[in-house]
Amino acid sequence: MGGATVRTQEEDFSIEEEVDALRAVSRRIGGIVTFLGCARDFSEGRDVSAIAFEQYASMAETAMEGLRAEALETFDIIEVRIIHRITTVNAGEQIVLIVVGAEHRASAFDACRWIIDTLKQRVPIWKRETTPDGKIWESQHP
Amino acid sequence: MPDLTANSAPTGEITVLFFGSLALKRGQRKLTVAAEAELTLRQLVSQLGGAQWHSFLLAVNQEQTNDLDRLLHANDEVAMMPPFSGG
Repeated sequence: MGGATVRTQEEDFSIEEEVDALRAVSRRIGGIVTFLGCARDFSEGRDVSAIAFEQYASMAETAMEGLRAEALETFDIIEVRIIHRITTVNAGEQIVLIVVGAEHRASAFDACRWIIDTLKQRVPIWKRETTPDGKIWESQHP
Repeated sequence: MPDLTANSAPTGEITVLFFGSLALKRGQRKLTVAAEAELTLRQLVSQLGGAQWHSFLLAVNQEQTNDLDRLLHANDEVAMMPPFSGG
């Protein structure tokens, strides 16, 4: 159920399966926070119909494992799952999921926020948006 | 018996990978360069036209680095990457 705790994949993921897999780790978990990133249909003043993702696979995997390990060490949390799709997604589709389980909600919220913010800085993944002006690499993300 | 290993030229290659918009700019995703003695990351970037890139990140052997004076060796894998935009 749910696959590895940290992974990239082409196929879509199930939030329910990932949350269930996280809950199965410990009955001590009292709060679960999820972040789901989806493809917007508008970016930087342009319509976006699809986003293609590319990764530096070996480094991305190490960087994502590092994020999980650092989050588990830094925050008072019990388990973390991080899944990022590497494929072409249409507007509205799912891109990234982070699930954090903790005894109490505050740590889970803090850790989840930190993981998505830090993922954008540390994990070598790039997006190319399909717009009416053509396909455009997004070089920097807020 | 002559020592055939002495003074031999450095053997092996460094693999250079380009990603995202940099791969598009270069028109290639991968190349190899000879692992010359005393080759630094700065020299490699310069040789490959890094001065023309707007902004980029570097990694050696899958680890991000800002150390341009780092010496490169045979079998190193150097990645030249635009700023990340995952998530």
